[in-house]
Amino acid sequence: MDVAEIRITAEPIDNARCKFLVSLPVHSGGVRRFSSSEAAQGSPLAEALFAIPGAEVTEVIVSGNLVTVVKRSAAPWQAIGKSVGAAIRSVLASGHAAVAPKPAAAAAPSGVDDDALYDRVAELFDAQVNPMVARHGGRVELIDVQDAVVMLRMAGGCQGCGMADVTLRQGIEAMLQEAVPEVKGIVDITDHTAGTNPYFAAAKK
Amino acid sequence: MPCPPKPRLLLLLPTATYRATAFVEAARRLDVELTVASELPSTFEQAQPDRLLTLDFSDPERAAQQAYQFARTHPIAGVTGVDDTAAVVAAAIAERLGLKGNSVSAALAARDKHIQRSELARRGVPVPRFERHGLDEDVPELAARTRYPCVLKPLRLSASRGVIRADDPSGFVAAFARLQQILEQPEVAACGAWTRYVLVEDFVPGPEVALEGLVIEGRIHVLGLFDKPDPLDGPFFEETIYLTPSRFSEPARQDIVGCGQAAVAALGLWEGPIHAELRYNATGPWLIELAARPIGGRCSAVLRFTAGEGGRGNALASLEELIIRHALGMPLPALEREERAAGVMMIPVPGAGVLRDVRGIAEARAVPLVEDVVITAHLGQALVPWPEGSRYPGFIFARGETPEAVEAALRAAHRRLAFVIG
Repeated sequence: MDVAEIRITAEPIDNARCKFLVSLPVHSGGVRRFSSSEAAQGSPLAEALFAIPGAEVTEVIVSGNLVTVVKRSAAPWQAIGKSVGAAIRSVLASGHAAVAPKPAAAAAPSGVDDDALYDRVAELFDAQVNPMVARHGGRVELIDVQDAVVMLRMAGGCQGCGMADVTLRQGIEAMLQEAVPEVKGIVDITDHTAGTNPYFAAAKK
Repeated sequence: MPCPPKPRLLLLLPTATYRATAFVEAARRLDVELTVASELPSTFEQAQPDRLLTLDFSDPERAAQQAYQFARTHPIAGVTGVDDTAAVVAAAIAERLGLKGNSVSAALAARDKHIQRSELARRGVPVPRFERHGLDEDVPELAARTRYPCVLKPLRLSASRGVIRADDPSGFVAAFARLQQILEQPEVAACGAWTRYVLVEDFVPGPEVALEGLVIEGRIHVLGLFDKPDPLDGPFFEETIYLTPSRFSEPARQDIVGCGQAAVAALGLWEGPIHAELRYNATGPWLIELAARPIGGRCSAVLRFTAGEGGRGNALASLEELIIRHALGMPLPALEREERAAGVMMIPVPGAGVLRDVRGIAEARAVPLVEDVVITAHLGQALVPWPEGSRYPGFIFARGETPEAVEAALRAAHRRLAFVIG
């Protein structure tokens, strides 16, 4: 594969987190989340991202054609992003799987069963979260639970909404903390820039 | 021993804000209890009544009473508003609950251009000569006796919406009619009696700067002084580039900050963020606007502060973190911006129409020194140019060793963007 054909768009969320949209699928087997360089062993892309000098990467999430990188370093994404792009291109050009398949019996270090958590979170989303966001034409899709971290995607009126982060942190995350306290975190893997019908659109004030 | 409760911040976020993520994430980093209040209900408000609240932003006193009722069961340690309207509501709540903040009269003076001009002129702060006129006045007669060039402004709209320069009587009549149309739009006219008036003031020539500050016990602590390298000579006043540090001389910068400080004192602003816009020419600084809120849009991302003593190693604090810390009485880091030059371009509206596509984003991001290109307009959104519009389609951010290099990077990135409008 010619690396020049691979197009990558960076979408920084803040100085710690950035989404990289890749023109080709990176991993088609659901979502994989890596929270340490040890966990990344056997997954070439995750290994390469944790190894970027000066980035102090703390988390990598790969889903479809989306790669989310979380770093501790204060270095701007403008500098780190180039190394991330190079790693993605290099791994895809090699022809090898970018990340290993999710282990069959994944369990968080605490011993929490991700599959059981997934079922409980899915039930909460179906019974409470989605009926609520539906009032604003929104929808929240549970993508996966890994190491007790919930990965979700927002759609409809939530995608690109100016108040999406309020919904996420003050609504969904708070409900998860109460109903499924074993959940350790929540990651929004939505491409909010692609939202075409946000419920609230922003204006400069 | 039980942990002491975390302090609760009441954050007033209008639903049309660009600022939700920046403030919510800053509150998370600071590990404070957060209650977000908006003028419209969240779909989660009933499920999370301690975290989400609806307040009547159109009636600050009523909003203060609502907040008082809420605080009886959920004690509030600080309040902050992120835009012009929310700043007045925050002041009313602060007064009602005895929290750190501005008086309502000071916040209102910052909110309304006519009250502001009147107070500043009365206290000797240099402002353009101004007059307020009703929409029902004899416009040709006004035009005949107005001094030119002049600028017509609504009393309260934000982001230079409705601000139009006129150079002669015929231009005045046309500008007045255009502004009247904006003010008579139903959603604007419903905002109050101020929509029945127009401010007419002298056009002040000269470059414009923006002063970002945090007021503590009436004294401005400068967080950033921005140059605006594109001339803002009208006929409309859509902003583009902000660059910091300013390239004005040290004496000029001191004059500008001194003028800002005099304006803060004149209006009686006492605590919280301020954003001021000033012109500078041969006679010195002129105060054009002073708002009791932080910089608008996504522009705050351009400001980063050294975390200082007690900070998190080499981490940099955001403007929102400083504002929250100040509102809650938490220790503040050194209020010093990082050493590198930084800038933001509010991407100009490329024309009227429906946004169909934006091309060249990756190429724009690849420009050296460019940190990010954020397109905030969504596909299918109607783009409305100034003076009727007030929404930028996006923002470009850059950081570098000098303001000149940052400005060049912003312009280069902008040239790579192509907006397809249908």
